[in-house]
Amino acid sequence: MAALAASQLSENVILSDVILSLSKDEGRREAFLALKAELSGRPSLSPQPVEGTVVTAIPELDRLLAGGFPSGSVATLEGATGRWSVAAGLIAAMTRKGLVAILDDGALYPPSLAEAGVCLERVLIVPVRKALEVARAADILLRSRICRLILMPAIALRDSIWTRLATLAHRNGVLLIVMAARAGAALSAAAELRLHCALERIIMRGTHGLWGSFAGFELCVNLRKHKHLPSGHQTNMRALSS
Amino acid sequence: MLLCVEVEASVLSPSTALWAGSVEGWEEMLDALDVVSPLIDDVRPGLAFLEMHGIAGDARAWMAQTRTALAPFEQTLRLGAGSNKIVARAAAYVADGSICEPGSECELLALLPLTLLDIEAEVIERLMLLGIERLGDLAALPHGPFVRRFGAAAAGWHELARGIDRRPFVPRSRAVAIEASIFGEGRAVDEAQIFFALRMLLTRVGADLARCGKRAGMLHLALELEDAETCTFDVPLAMPTANERTMFDMLRAKLEGATFESAIVGLRVQARQLEEGGEAQALFGADDFDPQRVAVTIARLEAMLGERITRATTREAHLLEERFAYQQFELPRKVMFDRTEAPHALVPQLRLLEVREIAVELRAREPAMVDGQTVMQCVGPWRIAERSFTISPVTRDEYDVVLEDGTFARIYRQNTHWYMRGVYE
Repeated sequence: MAALAASQLSENVILSDVILSLSKDEGRREAFLALKAELSGRPSLSPQPVEGTVVTAIPELDRLLAGGFPSGSVATLEGATGRWSVAAGLIAAMTRKGLVAILDDGALYPPSLAEAGVCLERVLIVPVRKALEVARAADILLRSRICRLILMPAIALRDSIWTRLATLAHRNGVLLIVMAARAGAALSAAAELRLHCALERIIMRGTHGLWGSFAGFELCVNLRKHKHLPSGHQTNMRALSS
Repeated sequence: MLLCVEVEASVLSPSTALWAGSVEGWEEMLDALDVVSPLIDDVRPGLAFLEMHGIAGDARAWMAQTRTALAPFEQTLRLGAGSNKIVARAAAYVADGSICEPGSECELLALLPLTLLDIEAEVIERLMLLGIERLGDLAALPHGPFVRRFGAAAAGWHELARGIDRRPFVPRSRAVAIEASIFGEGRAVDEAQIFFALRMLLTRVGADLARCGKRAGMLHLALELEDAETCTFDVPLAMPTANERTMFDMLRAKLEGATFESAIVGLRVQARQLEEGGEAQALFGADDFDPQRVAVTIARLEAMLGERITRATTREAHLLEERFAYQQFELPRKVMFDRTEAPHALVPQLRLLEVREIAVELRAREPAMVDGQTVMQCVGPWRIAERSFTISPVTRDEYDVVLEDGTFARIYRQNTHWYMRGVYE
């Protein structure tokens, strides 16, 4: 009698477990479907703030990047026009807090940086001519940790070197920004963040010809890659000269 | 009684205080004067006072002793003795070997020029405009009105002109030599051996600095080579330090780009520009940059690149390339950073390309095609005329153009040629 009661009890327990697991599976399936539906509607997904970011103090960009550039990473600023405008805004924000290093290939125009609010006395300008010099200078700067932001031109480097630079940036908490018209495969793989800037339209001041001047331009900044955020988001920004 | 020792070169131009010899040479002369008096006030290179109170002998004997001590340096000296600094110096100025007896100070000073007071040339000029040409003229003025007219500093000048010198006698401190060397213990051809020896020497130097409570502002490294040559390196430190690690990093960074003709057989490290006290520390070490680390990094970069690490300054100019200049990077004096995060506006950034000639087609006197690309938008010209009155005047007409591939560029025409100056990236 006791044995029968025990066997019935055990059957009941097993049955309830099965029912429970079925309901759990259904619940999981439902949750999965809801998540899938939510993820497929990507544009409506609002970015969540990411910890350990370098705030750019450019509201549109900070919103796009959910707080700013991820610190301790390699990021690329790509596109033909506007990438240096975005970089100058970031440099201006960073020179308020510390030193910034720019590996200069000879095209730097400091008055434009000053106009963007960059404190020039806190910018180390490192003249580099060859690819090897760029890589070695970036290596030394990353290891030294004297700057929280380093800007370098895009150069053709082996995958292993980009990986090493990315590791150094991560280990030392330094943001390494690579300025490239178009990032190569190796750089794209090593970069934690890729932003592409495209010229939307020119903003004129005055009329055409002698009586006009370029006031600036409107940019479309597109998030092509981010470690924590879905790609494809974009924002429009204006770069205006004073 | 004070003895004034002045080197002839500085006597000739007391206002500019020129000293033809090196600072090291002057220090050696002062060291030699230790045999005359233990108390020496080193005013500036070329001028010193010796406190002779309690020293055996008279003024003539002290002067003879001084000449004997400084004879090896082969400098023309002017010596004078007096009760205080101004009087002793005036005595030396009047004639070499003069002695001003107590009570005759005013008489001695009366005919001497105002430059003896070591005051600014502008002040002397103002005084001379008022008819005060000699110390006697100044001494004759009433003290109160003169001080009211020329300020508090004038009280001191007036007293000096009357032979009253309240300036303190500041004895020079003993020179401390901190160095370490290693010689005759084999030869080094590998950089690891050199760095090992350097680290050992710097441990000694660092310990000596800490023991003396000093820090070094510069390191002098001498490497003796097997072929009897000596290579020397002067390594300035951004912030004086006694830290062995920092000193080692700096020397290593300096040696990174160096090559030697033969093996190294000897090393000497000397701490120079010694300063008192410990090292200044940032209050919040994690936030503010470490000057030593910045200096080491810059030294490493410069050694690797063979070029200066710079910072930019801007200036007013018409030509784009003249609106900025680069100068050697120096640490900003203001360390406390602005922590506000006010929003920024983006500003278009011009990038200066290497100037190259371009092919431009005009339509209605405006660029219509640039290097085969259609100009979508164009503004300008803005004329820039520089150095018009020189043999190489520059006259340019600058335009901003947007090309069909989206390039936003600054171009200019100079004479009949067109050039690409930069692009907005």
